[in-house]
Amino acid sequence: MLMKLEELRKEFQTALASVTTQAELFDLKAEYVGKKGKLSTILKSLKDATPEEKKSLGAKSNQYKTEILAEIDNKLSGLEVAEINEKLEKNWQDISFKDSISEKGLNTAGLHPVTIIQREIEDIFISMGFDILDGPHIEDEFHNFEALNIPKNHPARDMQDTFWFKDMEHLLRTHTSTIQVRGMENKKPPFKFVGPGKVFRNETLDASHESVFHQLEGMMVGENISVANLIYFMKSLLSEIFKKDVNVRLRPGFFPFVEPGFELDIECLICGGKGCSVCKQVGWVELLPCGMTHPNVLKAGGIDTDKYNGFAFGLGLDRLVMMRYGIDDIRNLHSGDLRFSTQFKAY
Amino acid sequence: MIISIDWIKEFVNIPEMSDKDLSERFTLGTCEVEDVIKTGELLSKVLVVEITAIEKHPEADKLNLVTFKVSENETRQVVCGAPNVAVGIKVPYAPLGTSFPDGFTLVPKKIRGVVSEGMLCGEDEIGLGSDTSGLMVFPADAPIGTPVGEYLGIKRNTLLDIDNKSLTHRPDLWGHYGMAREFSAVFGVPLCKLYSEEWAERLKKNFTNDASPIVPQVADDCACLGYYGISVDNVEVKESPQWMKDRLNDCGLRPINNIVDISNYVMLELGVPLHIFDREMIKDEKIIIRTAGEDQKFMTLDEIDRDLLAKDTVVCDSEKPLVIAGIMGGLESGVTEKTSKIFIETANWVDSEVRKTSSRLGLRTDSSQRYEKCLDTELLERTCLRTLELVLKLCPEAKVIGKLEKDGVQKKETLVIDMKASHINNVLGTELSVERITEILESLEFHVTASGDDLKITVPSYRSTKDMEYDVDVIEEVGRIIGFDNITPVSPKTEITAVRLSQAKQLQRKIQDFMVFHGRSLEIMTSPLIGSKLLKNAEWHENNDELVLVNAMSRDRERMRPSMIPSALEAVALNQKNYSRFSFFEYGRAYKEDEKNFSDERTQVIMAWYDKKESRFMEALNTFENMMAFTNVPAQEAKPNPKFPNPLFAADWRGLHPSERVDFKIQGKPAASIFTVHPIVLRNFKIKGNLVLAVLDVTDFEERAMKDKTKYEPLAKYPSSTFDCTVLASPKTPVADVVSAAKKLKVKELQSVKVVDVFSLNEDQKTVTIRAVFGDKEKTLEGDFIREAEDKLVAALDAAGFPLKR
Repeated sequence: MLMKLEELRKEFQTALASVTTQAELFDLKAEYVGKKGKLSTILKSLKDATPEEKKSLGAKSNQYKTEILAEIDNKLSGLEVAEINEKLEKNWQDISFKDSISEKGLNTAGLHPVTIIQREIEDIFISMGFDILDGPHIEDEFHNFEALNIPKNHPARDMQDTFWFKDMEHLLRTHTSTIQVRGMENKKPPFKFVGPGKVFRNETLDASHESVFHQLEGMMVGENISVANLIYFMKSLLSEIFKKDVNVRLRPGFFPFVEPGFELDIECLICGGKGCSVCKQVGWVELLPCGMTHPNVLKAGGIDTDKYNGFAFGLGLDRLVMMRYGIDDIRNLHSGDLRFSTQFKAY
Repeated sequence: MIISIDWIKEFVNIPEMSDKDLSERFTLGTCEVEDVIKTGELLSKVLVVEITAIEKHPEADKLNLVTFKVSENETRQVVCGAPNVAVGIKVPYAPLGTSFPDGFTLVPKKIRGVVSEGMLCGEDEIGLGSDTSGLMVFPADAPIGTPVGEYLGIKRNTLLDIDNKSLTHRPDLWGHYGMAREFSAVFGVPLCKLYSEEWAERLKKNFTNDASPIVPQVADDCACLGYYGISVDNVEVKESPQWMKDRLNDCGLRPINNIVDISNYVMLELGVPLHIFDREMIKDEKIIIRTAGEDQKFMTLDEIDRDLLAKDTVVCDSEKPLVIAGIMGGLESGVTEKTSKIFIETANWVDSEVRKTSSRLGLRTDSSQRYEKCLDTELLERTCLRTLELVLKLCPEAKVIGKLEKDGVQKKETLVIDMKASHINNVLGTELSVERITEILESLEFHVTASGDDLKITVPSYRSTKDMEYDVDVIEEVGRIIGFDNITPVSPKTEITAVRLSQAKQLQRKIQDFMVFHGRSLEIMTSPLIGSKLLKNAEWHENNDELVLVNAMSRDRERMRPSMIPSALEAVALNQKNYSRFSFFEYGRAYKEDEKNFSDERTQVIMAWYDKKESRFMEALNTFENMMAFTNVPAQEAKPNPKFPNPLFAADWRGLHPSERVDFKIQGKPAASIFTVHPIVLRNFKIKGNLVLAVLDVTDFEERAMKDKTKYEPLAKYPSSTFDCTVLASPKTPVADVVSAAKKLKVKELQSVKVVDVFSLNEDQKTVTIRAVFGDKEKTLEGDFIREAEDKLVAALDAAGFPLKR
């Protein structure tokens, strides 16, 4: 009897291995462990056996039944997954065919590099409590010159090649300093703000000169503002921009709207001040003009100069952008050429 | 401008320091030193040698192997190609290791297989002339082995190249004496004040009791601020002494003759230009300073005819102009070799008049660029006497006739600034004592009277022409001499106020971000300056003829753009050459003519969707709608209405597609439009393919705070019921019409109607399947109610001309 039982167990295993569909599996289940299956048939013949035989064979057959059922279940789930997978395979897609290798034209997106840097600087100033202002591009002589202590025939007007309109009274702003004037007209001291924007100069175009470019003007007016404060702000700003502490130096510079006026140099970031081709062996790179706002400018802006003073500075944004990304030709900035833009893609 | 350190040392003892320290400290204290130039370096290395033997180079026909003596008992050999090489001549020799001004350094090398121990030089190569034909040959008595510089008596010198721009406001620094004063203050060493009262008195002893041959007369209405002149006879025009020629050469001026050289020398020394006339060429020995009036032509000494205006100031004799005041003299009255009687002029002119005339004539001279800076009239007498001193020194036979004459001298008031020492410290952020401040200012020849904290500062007249006006100017003087670098940075103490981006900036950033992250678009910038050709190509209705520049650099950048649309078309035309599909946007400005305010600047956003083949209109429209939702700006679709024309383009602009166009109103005004550009206009730009543009003018609402109107509602507790139905419609019926017909159903439980599917049946008909959702927040709808509502919906659609498909 026991032999029969063990043969049956082996026979089942062979049969199970050859099953490939769920239907076959259900047939096999009925054949072996069904009510009229082979296992039942064997058990039915037990009635003639001795009690000892009954006991051991009964246990054995129960064990086999459990095992067989488990194997069937196992096989069943395997077959089910295989069948679903077969269906899934029919819906196969080529997951290597990504946008990045697909010719769908230009599929990138991103901000203009000037916007990227301008935002970065705006955020630094916002974090230091500065407002952000702008003003018109088309200005009058008062806002571009007179209010900035640059009267008619002042030699400083020579330094700026101004674009004039036909009426000879209006012009394209040559610097963002006009935003200072507009800022003072609209604000009561103390205040501090920056003004980024486009400026225009009649310059011969080449790789480093454009007639349209960007500046960022800054101004702080309050009581007892000092040169020491100005240096502090400039150092903080530059450490944020360059993401490390930078050494700066102020040397006298002449700008009619500031007194004292400075050229701020930063220690060359390439050579660390030792002298290299970038800094023309000087160890310093000229970066921004700044100074204490001239009393005439404050007066033109309606500020009480007995009580208040302030500082102002200007930053060439395009120059920073070009330094950051190693752009060799400023004319790319306003070209509208996407071969340029796509290099600054966000994704 | 070039500053000679050798010259400076005549007035001040500069402490020993490296060139780098010298230029850096001067840069930080006074003005920008662009370059330090060493002269005579090369000539101290190059030696006089004598050629002893010449043989042909074995490998090259045109080269010789030249042997020469560098001392009595040492010979060397070089390869030399000069045609005038000859045994016995003495020539300059640059040994190995010599560096030339262009940076080239001689290193041992083989020339066609033969080692050359340096180089024999021509005069051009060692900066002694322009002859390039061969070796420079010295006289036979030149001592062998002596450095050429020593042999020729050429001194070594250090020159500072100063950036003129950094001197714009400092007329006093346009001469060596003024610069020396700065060296004295910056380095804290005394200035040797050579030109004292006693010095002047000594020179005046040369005056005679004769009547001065020329007494200048200054007319009232001209640009003269003062005119001094003196007549000298018996002058011998000849070559200047070497020391004077060296200094002029060092400063970049070519020596001509002693008299012309003196005038240049004094200008370089004292910073005031002057003019020396041949007195015999002055008609009637009369000098009259007046406006040009009817004299309209004048030939300057560069032999160019200049056009004068009636109000230009000129220096004349009894007949005609001799000099354009402050700018340049004429050809006839200048000093020549035959001159023996001279008239020395020192004068001052109104800065702006000189500037105007010189820029009109396009004639910027050493003289005019000094006068433009606003010179000090009080320096005229000193300058004239110094000129006289040098004339008498170089021409010992010369005699003054009469005395120094002057006319038209305008006195200006002495500038005294009252301020507090504590104010200086407050503005600089320093703690300087009154004594230190006084010391600094006095080193710059300011006069200071201190009483406690109060300072009474008298400004020297040469500083008060324009540069010094206010207390802040004094603060700058103190700051630069102590060195702004020595000020410790300190954070200001200010009130804390919350600051955030302006509404306009927030809106701009939102739109930019949305277009990048959702619109998959690249931001570009294009020039606000355009040409009329672009407007013509775009068939644009505005030409902006009032917003045209008078001094445009080119025709295609001559006027302000009236709209961003033409710029976008141009950018598409450019980029379609490289890409079959792209999207870009620009946040920029358009400029409208405005009778009242001259111009009206509009902030516009332009967005472009281009594809070589397919239309991207729906993508553009959906992106735009989503973008407006994202910005919280309420925008409503608006049918074009002739009563309220869209200001973004002309109603009859040919660039608009006949049907693919949607306009939006914001705050009741048309402010945006999305449209496919008509192929007719695309053709003007040679654009092939399909282009959709969206333009949004944010000017009128960008400063408005946009509220986030999101409001929470509890989630529905009771199930809703959906109902799909398919109706028939003509092929060109907008599906939105079907939806709005369904939405007109007056059943408050109708929650939404959406289109499920559209299917084209045949040429005359399509089907539209819509799904309506019915629901009630308070209860589950009953079956009978729902069926009734569904029937009503079908009936409403039917009534609107959309029968149910059976």
